[in-house]
Amino acid sequence: MSNEILEVKAISGHRGGTPGRGVSRAYDVCKLVDTTTCIGCKACEVACLEWNGYDFRETTFDNTYQTMPETAWNFWNLIKFNEYSTDDGVQWLMRKDQCMHCEEPGCLEACPADGAIVQYTNGIVDFNQDNCIGCQYCVTGCPFNIPKFNAETKKVYKCTLCSDRVGAGLEPACIKACPTGCLHFGSKDDMQIEAEKRVVQLKANTSWKNAGVYDPEGVGGTHVIYVLGDARDPEKYGGLPANPTVPIFVRLWKGPLKWLGGVGMVLGVLGVFMHRVRYGAKRVEGEEHRS
Amino acid sequence: MTNGWIDIKNTDMMLIMGGNPAECHPCGFKWVVEARKVRNAKLIVVDPRFQRTASQADLFCQIRSGTDIAFLGGLIYYAIQNNRYNKEYLTNWTNAAFIVKKGFKLPEDGLFSGFDPAAMKYDVSTWNYEEGGNVTGTAAAAIAAGDGPGAAAALAVSVAAKNGAPAAPSLPPDAAYDLSLEHPRSVFQLLKRQYSRYTPEMVSSITGIPANELTKAWDLFTSVRKDGDMKKAATIIYAVGWTQHSFGTQIIRTAAMAQLLMGNVGRAGGGVNALRGHSNIQGATDLAGVFDILPGYLKVPLPTDNDYTTYVTRITPKPSKPKEWDSYNYWSNTPKFAVSFFKAMYGDNAKKENDWGFQYLPKIDRNYSWVNQWNDMYNGKVKGLLTFGMNGVMIGPDSQKNIDALKKADWLVVGEIYPDETSAFWQSPGITDDEKRQIQTEVYRLPCAGFAEKDGTFVNSARWLQWKWVAVPPPGEARVDQEILARIFLKVRELYQKEGGKFPDAILAASWAYTNQNNPSLVEVAKEINGKALADIKDEKQTPSEWKAGQQLPGFGWLRDDGTTSCGNWLYCGSWPDSGSNSQRRNTDDPSGLGIYPTWGWSWPANRRVMYNRASCDLNGKPWDPSRRQIWWNEATGKWAGNDVPDFKADSPPKDHMGPFIMNPEGVGRLFVPLAALADGPFPEHYEPIESPVANQLHPQQSTSPVVKKFTTPLDKYGDPKDFPYICTTYRLTEQYHYWTKNNPVNMQLVPEPFVEIPEELATQLQIKGGDRVKVSSIRSSYYCKAMVTKRIRKMSIAGKETFQVGIPIHWGYKGLPDGRPEEQRTPANLLSPTVIDPNAYTPEFKGFLVKIEKV
Amino acid sequence: MSSGTITRAGTQAPEEQIVRYSFDERANHWINALSYSYCLFTGLALFTPFLYWLAAVLGGGATIRFWHPWVGLVYVASIFWMYSGWKSYMVPIPEDAQWRKSMKYYVTNRDDRVPPQGRFNAGQKLFWKVMFWCTFILVITGIVMWFPEKMPRGAHFLLPITVFIHSATALVTIAAFIIHVYMSVWMTPGSMKAMIDGSVSSRWARAHHRLWYEKVTGRKS
Repeated sequence: MSNEILEVKAISGHRGGTPGRGVSRAYDVCKLVDTTTCIGCKACEVACLEWNGYDFRETTFDNTYQTMPETAWNFWNLIKFNEYSTDDGVQWLMRKDQCMHCEEPGCLEACPADGAIVQYTNGIVDFNQDNCIGCQYCVTGCPFNIPKFNAETKKVYKCTLCSDRVGAGLEPACIKACPTGCLHFGSKDDMQIEAEKRVVQLKANTSWKNAGVYDPEGVGGTHVIYVLGDARDPEKYGGLPANPTVPIFVRLWKGPLKWLGGVGMVLGVLGVFMHRVRYGAKRVEGEEHRS
Repeated sequence: MTNGWIDIKNTDMMLIMGGNPAECHPCGFKWVVEARKVRNAKLIVVDPRFQRTASQADLFCQIRSGTDIAFLGGLIYYAIQNNRYNKEYLTNWTNAAFIVKKGFKLPEDGLFSGFDPAAMKYDVSTWNYEEGGNVTGTAAAAIAAGDGPGAAAALAVSVAAKNGAPAAPSLPPDAAYDLSLEHPRSVFQLLKRQYSRYTPEMVSSITGIPANELTKAWDLFTSVRKDGDMKKAATIIYAVGWTQHSFGTQIIRTAAMAQLLMGNVGRAGGGVNALRGHSNIQGATDLAGVFDILPGYLKVPLPTDNDYTTYVTRITPKPSKPKEWDSYNYWSNTPKFAVSFFKAMYGDNAKKENDWGFQYLPKIDRNYSWVNQWNDMYNGKVKGLLTFGMNGVMIGPDSQKNIDALKKADWLVVGEIYPDETSAFWQSPGITDDEKRQIQTEVYRLPCAGFAEKDGTFVNSARWLQWKWVAVPPPGEARVDQEILARIFLKVRELYQKEGGKFPDAILAASWAYTNQNNPSLVEVAKEINGKALADIKDEKQTPSEWKAGQQLPGFGWLRDDGTTSCGNWLYCGSWPDSGSNSQRRNTDDPSGLGIYPTWGWSWPANRRVMYNRASCDLNGKPWDPSRRQIWWNEATGKWAGNDVPDFKADSPPKDHMGPFIMNPEGVGRLFVPLAALADGPFPEHYEPIESPVANQLHPQQSTSPVVKKFTTPLDKYGDPKDFPYICTTYRLTEQYHYWTKNNPVNMQLVPEPFVEIPEELATQLQIKGGDRVKVSSIRSSYYCKAMVTKRIRKMSIAGKETFQVGIPIHWGYKGLPDGRPEEQRTPANLLSPTVIDPNAYTPEFKGFLVKIEKV
Repeated sequence: MSSGTITRAGTQAPEEQIVRYSFDERANHWINALSYSYCLFTGLALFTPFLYWLAAVLGGGATIRFWHPWVGLVYVASIFWMYSGWKSYMVPIPEDAQWRKSMKYYVTNRDDRVPPQGRFNAGQKLFWKVMFWCTFILVITGIVMWFPEKMPRGAHFLLPITVFIHSATALVTIAAFIIHVYMSVWMTPGSMKAMIDGSVSSRWARAHHRLWYEKVTGRKS
């Protein structure tokens, strides 16, 4: 969002410093997916395909209403359908799966390529395929299994949260297409309030007594948050991780190992140099050596 | 819909049954979501499958396909027993207090009084009200005298038989009534007795819903009327899951009765709401898409209607009501609507002297419903077929019969946007090259314009006329429908002019007053349908009080039976007044907050958004719920006022006790439907589908509806549960639209292949795994697809017997994407369904027939 | 047993020179060295943003990402080739233990206190062992990293572990590699020549690998 233009630079009739100067008014964007009102109509799937211009992709029947098992490099928005038997019947849970736009994105942390992954101040985590080298470290870093590799272009793709639309002041395509109002879009603060209100309502008036908001702290919160009917077990919703984090080994690799390795290499080179300076070469008596 | 899509948001309770709006009407379903989010409304879903609508429900009941009357009958009895009705509404706004004629018999043995087994028809003379005014207070005496339903049944029948063909019985002008509702032949007592047999145990054994779930559902639904309190409102929402049975009309009747009993009709958030399956199916019905009606639901003439007067007298009802009450009997205006319609049809050729051109109209000598016509084609009686926007092979029951029927036709003209199964009937699965060579049918395939390539109105489920504009021009040589039809008409007219013929008058007299004869503008057609003054007309009671000849009329109140007005469909009068098109209005103001949006588009009748809205008020004209004020009586002006347009005589004061159901001659809602309005009984009774795994537990000797006829061609076979043990139902998916989105790659990507949904327990028994290829067979044919093994359909106990049902989406066939699949994967779902139709609406029984399943 | 190698075609042994590496061995070594170096530099580019400029030098990020696993396979192949040629020289002998005990003398260039060694001394054997086993780990983890999309969802948690192990193992080889390059290029004059020309002087051979010298020349010193 281009709200930076609303940053205060000067105000009239005021002596001394300008209050609020330099304070950004840009706000975090957020999608709210209320799974309790998702009817699995797949309008978001189609809107995503059409806005992003992806073609038909061959699918096969897989004993489910779900379009395909996982999101794909050219299919970024997938409703996951899950059936469960319960004490008094059946549950059919539907959840729109897409990039969660983590506050601490594991993909970005893992990515080695300069500028291939960008996190905007509004919270959108976007891939820049021009800079992508196709190493798929982002796949490794993502706790939600979102980035997908295209073997042909050797690039990785995922939901952009419609950064192109959002940048122009529009809502993402999936939000626009949703017929039931299960998808909301706005500032993170507003969406959190909206979500909490809905959870209170669900607990008070429906059989969703364990409703809750999914905004996992392990990744610093996300810019796509869910209202789950049963927040005790997010895994039921098509494998939504209960406590997603940037994998510890990615953290170790990109943290201590990177620094230790770097320092170690420098010290190693320095060390052998010093050894030469201190002890000289192993000369064999009678041999002549050029060096 | 009695109400409308947006009005669903005003409800407190929803029963969705025989419909799956989350999948088939996802955009309209937003109002269900809205009601739940804003009003904490409850949602009950009753369906053979736990589908996407059910995933949203507070309570779901899995019902055996075709047993809806049992469920709803039980609901009615539960409401009566538990005082879940309001006596003021019930007594004054329904015919609960009316006394039914002596000799009327309830179908406790499966038959109402008056059945003629040879003709498979009822003599309806006992299906009537007793004459004779207020009998309140005589109940005890009547009971003592043994005066109950059925007491004189035998007598009534024999009388009718003796008299040969008596004059058609009519309603008594002065109906007897008992305001205490206690007379044993009062509609209320009959209703109570009729459904007292629908106990939770009986209904459970019929429907397969456990008895405790049944009472839970009934209790929840009727809870809006706890102790008769009228504040809350409940709605019933349905679709073709109800209509597509051999007793479909009666299911909807049962729902209407439940709603009348509970006082939910005419009210915001209430009503009986049919969700239409196409964007304009409501418009097609309004404009006489069915053979036995003319536009605006005027009846089609019969061969016995010798002249206009006979015809119009027959079809114009006379009031029948308690003396002290008033009845608007709006159909008394029938002559005005009829003459105006004739003027629209025949212009100056419709004159008083020639009975307004009445004789130009066809008269129906038999049943010309869709299924009958195809049956006639199969029997060689129908020689040619024009079909536009309708894939006949796919939408009819028993596809093989339809395919074979087309093989016998001389010619077939198909106007479509894609090559469809009907125009390619000669490529159907299993056909040999030899057979192909023998087919003599001449097939013309005409490329037509798609919906976005033409303008005109759509009439949605809420009865809204909304104009749409052309988005893109038709591609290539495709033409809009009206051009194709106009060119055919002009050519036929030319032939009649040149060659004469048996009866050229009907064609030659027809008015064709369009600027472009070959391609009439739909604006002109819409204006013609709305109607105009043909002479200067005056009416001091209306403002403005005068219209000049040629001006468009603002409403059907202006229509005349003297030939001074013309109107193509009286219901649409007001959609295009002189001030311009109302269907093109796009104003989003909603002053009342009830979602009425009075200046968005236009809703028939007279831009009313909720029909019968007088019933939203009590006897004194005060709204039952002041927070949802639709209309009210304004004592100061002496008129009805409202947020909505009053569906009532504007100046009839409450003290006159005019009934809110102005289209009924009684003025009140019908719990009991008198006379021949319905062929199969004044009260709905549970009958089994034509193919059923069990005998009717209410009356095994009369298992299926006595008036439903089976068809008799060699292809019309009906299956036995011994060979075909599983119940099958058919339906649509969100991802596809009927039979043409399979031409679109994205839709095919979302659900790529045909499948059958099989309960897990059954799959285990049959050793079928998800994704296995299976063959689903009825006695008629086989359908090939993959198995979807699911938890969402469960085993049922019917009459103590383990019973399974399976479900098949209807979308796939032998045309469309992806090409190149083997033939046996290109079978239409309706190869399986039987040719049998509802006796009232002639809708085929696409739900609840018998099949077996084998692994391929 | 090693007499055959001395007379291999393409390897000339002038007077007082002893053939140390046959052409095959030298070719093998340099293929191995080059492929390792490529993987090293491209790997480092992917390892830390400080060295991502290496990617640009080597043809761009996408290019190095593409070639790294393929060249890695070349490296793996060459190390197995090496294994087939040198496995007999890498067999531990009793002197290895003594060498290890007196390693500090070796490091501080007091070689007179270091016991005589075979064709490869115990340090070289250690280097070989480290490289061989690290290669084994690198190729297994590398293949997983090459096709993460083929990893079943349930095993995704292994991906970060794999990447970590790959990087850590590579760092171990880098440590060994620094010592190896330093010793051969700078610290032990003559060894670079041996790997290029194939021959060393008798003196050199006697000084650094006496047991091997005695064996190939038949002379006792």
